[in-house]
Amino acid sequence: MTLDRPPDQQKVGSEVENVLQLPAAARAADIALDELELVYAFIYARVGNRADAEDLTQQVAMKAIPRLREGSAASAIRGYLFATARSVLGGFWSTRLGLSEAELHEDLAMAVPQAPPSEARADTVQAILAQLSDNYRRVLELRFLHGYSLKEVAADMNSTVGAVKVMQLRALRAAAKVRVEL
Amino acid sequence: MNKPENRVDKIVSDLLKGRRLRLRGGDAEEKAAITMAARLAGARPSPQRMNPAFRKRLAQALESAPKEPWMTRRAALVAGFGLAATAVAGGIVGRALEPAHSAPRLQGGAVNPIPGKWVDVAAISDLVEGQGKRVAAGGVGAFLFRRGDSVTAVTSICTHLPCELWWNSGQGLLDCSCHPASFMPDGKSTDPSYPLPTLNKVQVRVTAAGRVEVLGTA
Repeated sequence: MTLDRPPDQQKVGSEVENVLQLPAAARAADIALDELELVYAFIYARVGNRADAEDLTQQVAMKAIPRLREGSAASAIRGYLFATARSVLGGFWSTRLGLSEAELHEDLAMAVPQAPPSEARADTVQAILAQLSDNYRRVLELRFLHGYSLKEVAADMNSTVGAVKVMQLRALRAAAKVRVEL
Repeated sequence: MNKPENRVDKIVSDLLKGRRLRLRGGDAEEKAAITMAARLAGARPSPQRMNPAFRKRLAQALESAPKEPWMTRRAALVAGFGLAATAVAGGIVGRALEPAHSAPRLQGGAVNPIPGKWVDVAAISDLVEGQGKRVAAGGVGAFLFRRGDSVTAVTSICTHLPCELWWNSGQGLLDCSCHPASFMPDGKSTDPSYPLPTLNKVQVRVTAAGRVEVLGTA
């Protein structure tokens, strides 16, 4: 099993003044906590539930403590946290699904988000849904974005619960094949 | 319930109820659909920021983490954020997850609960040589191994994820219940290609009366 390793800290002369000196743990914690909000959103967007997102964010935080204390370049902190987050996510999915990291690599090779997480997330989802057929898009919108039960979706689409289940699976498979560049 | 659409819908329903992802090995067949379902669930207009209580705990953990050795994830999980500073660092997540320049960590060190209490867990005559016995000393779970008149003990928690180990008597190994990982009775990982940190030792003693006591919690 091979997981992503956080990139080595880059140190160049021009960044010396940008180096965060973190003599006290509290100082590191202040800076890290705001960055960890972004990490949490990044992870939540990929596991879809709070409990797992909190566990994984905690893992990232624990791993990052020594690096934060070393006094890293400001730009490197976020890069390091997200590299660690991708590594932790890789471990999470490979463990839960019993897959190798390589099989999950494509999903993990996501860039550090530049936009605020909520906007980036909504844009990505809309872009994915937009490329699906009407029925597939409808079932996923009703189920995930509007929180409909299977029975409600079936009523809305004049279908049966069994047919909606199958359509939901096929729609998810189709959505997974959509490649979105934002 | 074995149909893929039923299984995936169960996972979707759990996600929509805010529950954890509980997956099985066979779910890998539908990994694309499942990971997409998680992403769609994560895109719902639900809390996008940390829960205030979690953020507070995280802040406390960051501020109180000891400098040396690391406070590891499992130490934090086992001891709770607030107590993590006093937890003995054990080998935790796989080495491949570690930052390239990580500080050296203790592996296989002894669990040292504070405050600790010696807890009577068994009679030495209850222990069979070559067989592990699961015991609990308050909050400390351990597997006992007897060799002659002496007894050794290792923690019952896997060093990869905080899952309970179980004694595989057929192979004479401690197997993880969450993923394919095994440990020898001395706590060492059995997989040379992906060695996990050694299990933490648990302090154990045998009294003159032949009772086995483990250093656990009240």
